[in-house]
Amino acid sequence: MIKFDNISKRYADGQEALSNISFEVSKGELAFITGHSGAGKSTLLKLILAMESPSNGQLIANGVNLSRISRSQIAEHRRQIGTVFQDHQLLHDRTVFDNVALPLEISGYQAKEAGRRVRAALDKVGLLKKEKSFPGSLSGGEQQRVGIARAVVNRPSIILADEPTGNLDPALSTEVMKVFEQFKSVGVCLLVASHDATLIQRLNYRTLVLDNGKLVADQAPRSPS
Amino acid sequence: MSPVRRNKRNKRNKRTQSPSSYINRIQAHKRVARASLKQLLKDPVSCLVTTFVIAASLLLPALLFGLNSNLSSILSGFQESAQVTLYLKDEVSNISGKRVSNDLLTHPDISTSVYISPEQALDEFASSTGLESLLQELSSNPLPGAVVITAADASPASVDNLVQQLHTIPEVALVQVDSRWLQRLAAISQLIRLIGQLLSAVVITALFLVIGNTIKLAIENRKEEIRVIKLVGGSDMFAARPFLYTGLLYGLAGGILAVLLQHVVLYAFNSGFEQLMQLYGSEFTLQGFGLSNSIIIIVAGSAISWIAAFVTSLRQIRNINL
Repeated sequence: MIKFDNISKRYADGQEALSNISFEVSKGELAFITGHSGAGKSTLLKLILAMESPSNGQLIANGVNLSRISRSQIAEHRRQIGTVFQDHQLLHDRTVFDNVALPLEISGYQAKEAGRRVRAALDKVGLLKKEKSFPGSLSGGEQQRVGIARAVVNRPSIILADEPTGNLDPALSTEVMKVFEQFKSVGVCLLVASHDATLIQRLNYRTLVLDNGKLVADQAPRSPS
Repeated sequence: MSPVRRNKRNKRNKRTQSPSSYINRIQAHKRVARASLKQLLKDPVSCLVTTFVIAASLLLPALLFGLNSNLSSILSGFQESAQVTLYLKDEVSNISGKRVSNDLLTHPDISTSVYISPEQALDEFASSTGLESLLQELSSNPLPGAVVITAADASPASVDNLVQQLHTIPEVALVQVDSRWLQRLAAISQLIRLIGQLLSAVVITALFLVIGNTIKLAIENRKEEIRVIKLVGGSDMFAARPFLYTGLLYGLAGGILAVLLQHVVLYAFNSGFEQLMQLYGSEFTLQGFGLSNSIIIIVAGSAISWIAAFVTSLRQIRNINL
């Protein structure tokens, strides 16, 4: 589903954010990406979202060769991916409901069907009662969960999450990870960037470790379940 | 499977998955249009100012074209009176004068032709000037015979053409076009039309700048929103949609305001104009510019604004970095 083949990313200022990264995550797999801040986790997710293009190597996500994607294909590509952003990226002049409905609106869903899906997504993250609130009135953790609801509402084939549990207490983190696991079980490919070592330890999934832009470890789950 | 083929398959899946029917799209457009209107009404003052600027720019050429269509209708009102007088040579007798007149009646470009004998001319002159007694003193009639014709087509070109032909008649001494001033008016009308066209070009440019700038500002204000839309898979076109409606609404409002202002101007002018025309013994009043004219102004304003919004918003949105 996601295939990095010798990917490097150098920025214009010469700084190398990623060097020679190769790995593959398949359908129905959940993998953590970990590493200290600045190790290249965010850059890696940006490459998959076609927010940046790789300097070298071949990157294929969801069947699309991102090294050679055209401008017009990018939007279509992003519609297949649900992304949880570290800084939430919510629209503050729209209600929680409208924020979550945005990907459906883009895909042209009927209001009734969209409403049904939005409420299902909000229910999954426990925010059904807040659908009429505006993001500004929510706590950091609640905003995070609105972002998660928006990421999953369109039933994407890939879910990318950048520190999705960063603002959540352990109980909520577990809840959110349960939502992710549900999507994994229906064949979604998930890539979760996190430096929450205890969470990663506890959940026991494949873990990719980045250090200074290099992939230093690709740890398989300890005991296959 | 090759990436390209898989991509194609995804697209097909997408199409069957998302129920993006015609009705849904109309529903979505309605929603966006309403949202754009709401957004505009949030800042009514600047919205009003922009609308006024658009209306004023549309009004100028609209008035010129309106003035010109009035001139044209004045011109066409005088069509039938495109008179030409042929003064005959002194030696031409009444009989041959009549013959010339009758021959001219068969000419396709001439609708009426009347022979006026020297005696008739003298009588008419005497009665219109009141110099009968003085004229009776004259030993001979100094006036020549004449043929007064009316051209079938009063346009300057065809009248000129006709005059050329009339010059070649051997009995004719002098050809005088009684409606030279009509030609001048027609020339003025043409000039006004030209100025109107030039002004339209200027106005279209100005509208482009006004709308372009307004849209640019609106996009700048909603940059974050556009960023988010692009991040979750909205195309540039999707992100531009609200701004296209903004442009369209501005053009529509500006066009309607321009039509209203045009009627106000017309009303103000008309009383003065009627007085002027009465002095000339005419019942002519300025015509309203008509429904079709109003529709043209509104449609043109909307179209120009929409195109300006389209060009600006797509360029601006494309340049927003993620």
